[in-house]
Amino acid sequence: MTKKAKILVVDDDHDFVDVVKTLLQGESYDVVVAYNGKEGVAKAKAENPDMMLLDIIMPEEDGFLTADEFRKDPVLSKIPIIAVSSFSGGDMGQPFPFEVDEYIMKSTVTKDLVGKVKTHLKRKGL
Amino acid sequence: MKIYLYTNVFIDLIMLIVLIHFTGGIENPFIFLLTLHVILAGIGLSHKTTYFIATVALLLVGIMVALECTGLIPHINLEGFISPDQYKQTNYIIAILVALAVLLYSGAYLTTAISGELRKRQRQVVTLTQQILAEKEAELDVSAREIDKLEEEKKRFLSFLGMAAHDLKAPLAAIQGFLWLILTGYTGKITDKQRDMLDRSSRRINDLVNLISDLLDIPRIEAGQLVQEMKEISLGELVKHCADDFSTVAKEKGLDLNVEVPENIRKIKGSDVRLRQVITNLLSNALNYTLWGSVTIRLTETESEQRVEVMDTGIGIPPQELPRLFNDFFRGSNVSVKGTGLGLAISKRIIEAHGGKIWVESPCPETNKGSKFTFTIPSKSR
Repeated sequence: MTKKAKILVVDDDHDFVDVVKTLLQGESYDVVVAYNGKEGVAKAKAENPDMMLLDIIMPEEDGFLTADEFRKDPVLSKIPIIAVSSFSGGDMGQPFPFEVDEYIMKSTVTKDLVGKVKTHLKRKGL
Repeated sequence: MKIYLYTNVFIDLIMLIVLIHFTGGIENPFIFLLTLHVILAGIGLSHKTTYFIATVALLLVGIMVALECTGLIPHINLEGFISPDQYKQTNYIIAILVALAVLLYSGAYLTTAISGELRKRQRQVVTLTQQILAEKEAELDVSAREIDKLEEEKKRFLSFLGMAAHDLKAPLAAIQGFLWLILTGYTGKITDKQRDMLDRSSRRINDLVNLISDLLDIPRIEAGQLVQEMKEISLGELVKHCADDFSTVAKEKGLDLNVEVPENIRKIKGSDVRLRQVITNLLSNALNYTLWGSVTIRLTETESEQRVEVMDTGIGIPPQELPRLFNDFFRGSNVSVKGTGLGLAISKRIIEAHGGKIWVESPCPETNKGSKFTFTIPSKSR
């Protein structure tokens, strides 16, 4: 790998961010962190990440709004989004009410995350 | 309208008097037909008008008699029927006029009394009907408001449960994550004893996450959340996907996982997430409680329903426990695999919310081994 892929993690749960960060850094990815949606959009514009992991329930600007902002922006819309939440399908009442590229439940993140990140990065040619 | 009515009645009366005049005047016994006018007026018109018409009729007859007696108009005798000078006999005239007056006024009295009573009753019925209608409308208004309030409360309750599920699971997910990082060596070496304890902690947290999901699922299903989730789905695709998810587990256990889904299965209306939950639960149970042999999942279709059968060659269920198998928190006496005891109870609620049925047979009638779980979903689901 000539260039490390950069992954933006947006989640208000600092502990969970640490888990994901450790996991991804262990896999040699560059990790950028934001603790709310607004910060996520700002960091995405500044850091130009290859992918975003997005929590759904966050104060101020939640994952739904953040994903919406990304989808509307011509540059940010190209960044694949993996929603990572404690919500299961049953909690939401339906599989997912907004468009993301992938959805992972936090309870299975350690099992599923690295594989799914790799798949989506490969799709981007990274 | 009233003038038209009065004019009509008077013309009618005058015409009848003219007719009577030309057919014998007071000698004509049909003079009493005037009573019919009063009866008709009594039925259709007011009390006052009826008595007024009776009086006018009597006056008109009196005028006719007076004119005939004084010779101002000729008297036409009913020849051969009444003696020619009878119309001039005072006693006869008085008797006829009195009889006519009695008939006219008693007719007026009787008909106005009866029709008055009938009108009163009719008014009462109308008032009562209006009253009942108003009361029912008010009741309907109250019920509609109650329904709106309950719907609102249900929405708040479901949203509360969703948030509760999230907030209970979020810290556990962080703990699970940290434990996993330690266990997989991201944080350095750990002793075997530490590994064992962390491993057990991780499993207990996993159990807790499952219990939270299950416990919160029950009120959500009972509050009717499924109805919002329902759409056109392919049960065939769902069965295949779920079976795919378990193929690795089956292989690891050395079990055959057979999937029998016919081509061109019609779509049904259902909740993708919840039916996936049921199929996953049945397959997971079948694989957990089968040590060797096979697990088969089969989808069949009839005109009215689609049927999913999950058969295993596992340990089976003791006959005395079969009736309680779908009860909340029920755990089979012969199982060692950990679980909340809510999986089948939730599956039953999900299937019933789809208008279907779920049941178990043990041993499986086809193989005489293990168990067979079957659920049905109506082709035209609610």
